Amino acid sequence: MTTVRALDRGIILCHVCHLQTSIHDENTPCPRCKTRLHARKPQSITKTWLLLITAAILYIPANLLPIMTVNYLGMATPSTIMEGVITFINLGDWFVGGVVFTASILVPSMKLIGMFILLIYVQYGRLLPPKTCTIMFRLIEWIGRWSMLDIFVIAIMVALVNFGNLSTIEADWGALAFGSVVIITMFAAMSFDPRLIWDHIESNEGNK
Amino acid sequence: MHSDDNTQPNKVPKQIEKLIACPECDLLMVADKLSRKQQINCKRCGSLLNIYRNNMVTYSLSLVLTALILFIPASFLTILRIDILGHTQEASVWDSVLGLYHSGMATISVLVLMCGLAIPLVKLLCQLYVLLAIYFNKAKHSAIFYFKIYQELKEWGMLEIYLLGILVSIVKLHGMAELHIGMGLACFIMLLFVQVWLEVIMSPLQTWTLLGKINDHSKSAR
Repeated sequence: MTTVRALDRGIILCHVCHLQTSIHDENTPCPRCKTRLHARKPQSITKTWLLLITAAILYIPANLLPIMTVNYLGMATPSTIMEGVITFINLGDWFVGGVVFTASILVPSMKLIGMFILLIYVQYGRLLPPKTCTIMFRLIEWIGRWSMLDIFVIAIMVALVNFGNLSTIEADWGALAFGSVVIITMFAAMSFDPRLIWDHIESNEGNK
Repeated sequence: MHSDDNTQPNKVPKQIEKLIACPECDLLMVADKLSRKQQINCKRCGSLLNIYRNNMVTYSLSLVLTALILFIPASFLTILRIDILGHTQEASVWDSVLGLYHSGMATISVLVLMCGLAIPLVKLLCQLYVLLAIYFNKAKHSAIFYFKIYQELKEWGMLEIYLLGILVSIVKLHGMAELHIGMGLACFIMLLFVQVWLEVIMSPLQTWTLLGKINDHSKSAR
């Protein structure tokens, strides 16, 4: 089976509405939805690198700073993301502890590492089979938003536990850093063009 | 509905309609062999290329309207009530935004407002507009504009994650206080269910094709 890229036959797809047009239309607005046409997302690798590095830097305060502070009878107890997970596990709630651990620690770390691998792959190549990379990218794209879990938990807890002097819960700066990491990594995944994974194979091996 | 397909410009070679390119790996395939099926997947990377559904527009319209009706009670009715030592506190989705705002975390409250409330609502309104435009066969240009907004926002609506957040909060507070579940939670779960169902039914490529076919005579529709 020969594999032919659409680009090699002069066909490009609109990023937004996936209308197929000719390569001669590049840099003009899409005839259907008026989005500017490009064969590949412009500056994809540079943009993704920049966003990813920003997220990686913010990931440090996100994990070290407390994300919320529980005030109970005048005593303030700040807790970081990891401390929240440990609290669940100490209470014997392994399942919820596991869910929070996955959403708040595992997913963001895997996402940062996964995007680094993909970027290195498209720039230097041949680390993994391209199909594995595509599946990895889809997983990263889909699972990234689940990290917002902790932010929503804080939002609900802050509203619910608000008994004046008796007991209150407040959001802390770690939550802001963590929320930024989630958003910036989502933008990083959006700026990455998965077709670059296969372009690399094409230029190395030609037709199979 | 079968007006002239004016989405294909003259510059493009004719055979382009017989070909289909994968948006995820750029493999070029012959569409004839694929298009008899209801669903088309890329032969190389497996991504979903297109899916056709019967009665997609009316089916989706009824789901959008249901979701919009559920939206207000889901956002403003009590989700959880808590009793500690005789004190009672209630919270709705809207209260969770306000709570953060009043505790001095305005930035995060905006984030929760956007992902948990505003974006899901804007998405539904965009879908409503687009479906109505296709249904009545008018307002092509504004419908395309709103469908682009919908696609941009798709990832940023996070109702399902909010629901998981509610569940984690229930477990977290379960030991330390008496918790009661409110009507808001039932509405929220129904809203989420309808929204996911809608997302499955309203195929983006089928919608784009239908949008391209709107026969808009009045240019002033925008």
